[in-house]
Amino acid sequence: MRKGQYRFVAGFLLAPLALYLIFVIWPYLQTIGYSFTDWKGQSQTFSFVGLDNYKALFQDDVFLEAIWHNILFLVFIPVITILLALFFAFMVNAGGRGGAGGVQGVAGSRFYKIVYFFPQVLSLAIVAVLFGALYRSDSGGLLNGLLIKLGLVDGNNPIEWMNEPNLVLWCLMAVVVWHGVGFYLVLFSAAMQSIPRDIYEAALLDGASRTHTFFRVTLPLLWDTVQTAWVYLGIIAMDMFVLVSTTTQGTGYGGGPDHHSEVMANVMMRNFLYFGKSGYACAMGVVMLLLTLILSVVTLRATRRERIEF
Amino acid sequence: MGSTSAENSSPEGVGRRDLIKRSAALGLITVPTMSFLSACASGGGSDDNSGDKGTGKTSKDNPFGVKKGGGKLDVVVFKGGYGDEYAKAWEAAFDKKWGSKSAHTGTQEITGKLQPRFNGGNPPDIVDDSGAQQIKLDVLYKSGQLLDLASVLDAPSIDDPTKKVRDTLIPGTLDPGLQGGKVVSLNYIYTVWGLWYSGKLFKEKGWEVPKTWDDFLAICKDAKSQGIGGLAHQGKYPYYINIAIMDLIAKQGGLDAMKAIDNLDPKAFVGSDAAQAAIEAIYEVVEKGYLMPGTNGLTHTESQTRWNQYKAAFITCGSWLENEQLKQTPADFDMKFMPMPSLSGDKLPFEAIRAGSGEPFIIPAKAANLPEAKEFMRSMLSKEWSTLFAQKANSLTILKDSVSEGVQLRPGTQSTVDASKAAGDNTFNYLYFNWYSEMDVSIQNASNELMSKRIQPKEWLKRAQAAVDKAAKDPASKKNHRD
Amino acid sequence: MSAPITEPTKVDGAGVPPQRNARKAPPRPGDKRTEGMALNVFSHGFLALWAVLIILPLLWLVLSSFKTDAQIGGSALGWPSNWQFDVFTRAWNKGIGDYFANTLIVLVFSVPLTMLLGAMAAYVLARYEFPGNRLVYYFFVGGAMFPVFLALVPLFFMVKRLDMLNTYQGLILVYVAYSLPFTVFFMHAFFRTLPTAVFEAAVLDGASHTRAFFQVMLPMAKPGLLSVGIFNVLGQWNQYILPSVLMQPQTSSDPERYVLTQGLIQLQQQQGYATDLPVLFAGVTIAMIPMLIVYLSFQRQVQAGLTSATLK
Repeated sequence: MRKGQYRFVAGFLLAPLALYLIFVIWPYLQTIGYSFTDWKGQSQTFSFVGLDNYKALFQDDVFLEAIWHNILFLVFIPVITILLALFFAFMVNAGGRGGAGGVQGVAGSRFYKIVYFFPQVLSLAIVAVLFGALYRSDSGGLLNGLLIKLGLVDGNNPIEWMNEPNLVLWCLMAVVVWHGVGFYLVLFSAAMQSIPRDIYEAALLDGASRTHTFFRVTLPLLWDTVQTAWVYLGIIAMDMFVLVSTTTQGTGYGGGPDHHSEVMANVMMRNFLYFGKSGYACAMGVVMLLLTLILSVVTLRATRRERIEF
Repeated sequence: MGSTSAENSSPEGVGRRDLIKRSAALGLITVPTMSFLSACASGGGSDDNSGDKGTGKTSKDNPFGVKKGGGKLDVVVFKGGYGDEYAKAWEAAFDKKWGSKSAHTGTQEITGKLQPRFNGGNPPDIVDDSGAQQIKLDVLYKSGQLLDLASVLDAPSIDDPTKKVRDTLIPGTLDPGLQGGKVVSLNYIYTVWGLWYSGKLFKEKGWEVPKTWDDFLAICKDAKSQGIGGLAHQGKYPYYINIAIMDLIAKQGGLDAMKAIDNLDPKAFVGSDAAQAAIEAIYEVVEKGYLMPGTNGLTHTESQTRWNQYKAAFITCGSWLENEQLKQTPADFDMKFMPMPSLSGDKLPFEAIRAGSGEPFIIPAKAANLPEAKEFMRSMLSKEWSTLFAQKANSLTILKDSVSEGVQLRPGTQSTVDASKAAGDNTFNYLYFNWYSEMDVSIQNASNELMSKRIQPKEWLKRAQAAVDKAAKDPASKKNHRD
Repeated sequence: MSAPITEPTKVDGAGVPPQRNARKAPPRPGDKRTEGMALNVFSHGFLALWAVLIILPLLWLVLSSFKTDAQIGGSALGWPSNWQFDVFTRAWNKGIGDYFANTLIVLVFSVPLTMLLGAMAAYVLARYEFPGNRLVYYFFVGGAMFPVFLALVPLFFMVKRLDMLNTYQGLILVYVAYSLPFTVFFMHAFFRTLPTAVFEAAVLDGASHTRAFFQVMLPMAKPGLLSVGIFNVLGQWNQYILPSVLMQPQTSSDPERYVLTQGLIQLQQQQGYATDLPVLFAGVTIAMIPMLIVYLSFQRQVQAGLTSATLK
């Protein structure tokens, strides 16, 4: 029996582990190897340079700035998305006031749940095209067009959204939030629906306001889900490659204006392909990897709480 | 031209062994790397040109020994403003002559398609490595992926076998293909860079082609008063505004100013009067509000299309503009090219233009069918193929008198021919952007800041100089020199 | 409650990107309506506004495919005039149909395989004690944190050595491998919560471990599988970086097998050299509408799947 059990375990693990080792772990380990070389990316020839790449990294202002931007994303994207999604989820599920003191969502909540999820089914490529057109820097862009029509912006001096150092990061964040809120709305609604209705009703009977109910009842019970959402959004915030490289200014994977929207991923790709400093790019990758690990551990620690059983 | 350094000896072999030896000390991490390396050493590492053994007999008409019948050729061309019809026509001609079978790829994604193939050791035989996703030539060169084209250039010309191919080309057009003193890319298309305007719009408004910067500014001012932008540029890619800036520097400071930049002089920008005059002139356009609204954030096609719709008087571009905008250009637009207007005290006359060659064609060192690739390139430099190109792509090649009589060119291209004639020997070009990608990008970034009014000319000079100084620090930069 | 409105306002204020803030009408202070009313108006307004923010750009994009290039460059608010469908034909002829087919071929295999292998691994890790269990688990889960492009080049060589570049099977296996961390993580949690009684009964009846898994445990895990499956469909559907490296023709005679994301990005890049913006918008519309239709038809299942994901 016991032996058979081991055979069973091994049999079940074999295929997934093999695939995972071959296609995921092995390449990552090789990347670490490359980071100690002066590999140029266009041929399999290089020599070993020790820690030079890593030393250079810490003097690379562009990369350091990119790290900073990723950190900003890491703070703002999850906070904004989660708060918005929570707010919407609460409104959709418990925002309405039923006649007999029951708890229900606002009218049209089904409609909202469906519509809000739309962006999530669009591939990032589509989102990139859409927002490229939306943020266009003259009257042909939807935002500028609207603002000019409303008389808020001078047609001769339109807002160059992606060419404004102070706006570009926010513009990028808006895209991610726009894209993600629906998903987390549905996720949080699901979690809210799993909260027994009598808890709400009890709260209502106690005379708690909706605000009160939200902060005292809903949020604590949702904490697990929020934590999961935080981790997903954190991963997105550490990436941002497709969006930055297709919608921002600058030669070689965007990142402009003047490095104001650089993120680690696109700096890495620029060095990797455009400048031919592939070994160096791999060192960036290793740093990204370490940062991601550290941040994950920190996030999980910081958000750990007692689970509330119900 | 350039110094002939002994760059050909491959430093790679040593490096690889070195890596394996030293990496043993690194233990766990490098174990996979090692086996990986030994695995790939057999794959991509062979340095002797195994594809170079033509199976056909060499002769005067067949200098590379292409075998008749059954040959293969793998052609990848950048499908940009010139399309790729010309390449298909060439391939058909080549296959007909040699009984070979050519495979054709036309793409915008040169990097995406080819980087893996270069890495994998199975590159195509001939590549037009161009466009926004070009694989940088300095990078390819440093990786030992480019064939020295000397054997093609020293072969007899098809049109006149008594001449070498290189002697049938417009002087100076091989220069952009230099890396480490060797021609490794053939920049096939004769290109001029400068300003463009609509003949129709100018006639309508009664504007004359401005010869001086003041005249230029006056037109911009007039345009603005009529609700038209003065200068448009393709702001999302600051490459284009750098055309104007660098042209102004060249004309103001002459050869010395250009050499200072290409040779990474510590006074290339800061301390260069020419650079200062040029950048201040450009900044005047910005400061006086003569830019087309929103132009700083537009992509090249967005910007060029707005210009085609008479929303700006001028735009900066190279001679591919007409082809790129074919569908967007109104029939009576009358697209015209002009040199950059003169600043006071210019060393070069108004007629001087940046002229040279573009669209780098390369033969990968590890191409599988080297004789065919070389013969293909030799054929490109024949009058027949050059004319094919002019017909299909509406552009001139670097071959002297490249087009047979009777080929009708579009107005924009015709105007570049006229401008070239007017310029005579007063043509110039830069080499730095093929040598120092990183420096080029840094200067572009600075220009973007300047155009958006976030930095002043002084700061631009400082930044450009910093980019030059940084490039000069790289020991590899010693191998390039402009005499 | 004396100041009931302030708190949710704060929530919302932090949550809205600044440029949108400007357009939202804040609840007027000094409004004497009751809390419920004010909140209702406010929340309805805000919910509706967000819905508009979702729908409007998408609609605008669809309308833009009926504009001419000149109109696209002109005012964004201009009404399209070029009501012809040839632009869609043009876009379709750029290969959108093939891109769709390729994407579907890959996903039809990769998602079920991901689920199967992920569930198998998660199951033994969740329910069997053996030395190294924790290690293997963390090994799997750790992979979820790494950015994909770190591994790109070595991955390329790996796939090349297996002779699977520009093949469906190559991309399918890679998709599966890169989806495993998340799948294992999720299913692991799910299997832990399943009751053991049924399983024990099955084993007592003489079922083997394998049979017990496939006939008892897997069906019980259906809600979990469904929700992870949805995550995987979305994730693999949107994948761009992996196919852009692995699904490139290796010789000029190798046929192109682009997936949809690649095809769209290529279409966008073609704009750089032969401007035809309406075609780009039409292409995006073609790619977008089937997804929306599929979503609308299955939205119940999607939402149910996500619901079960959070149920313990």
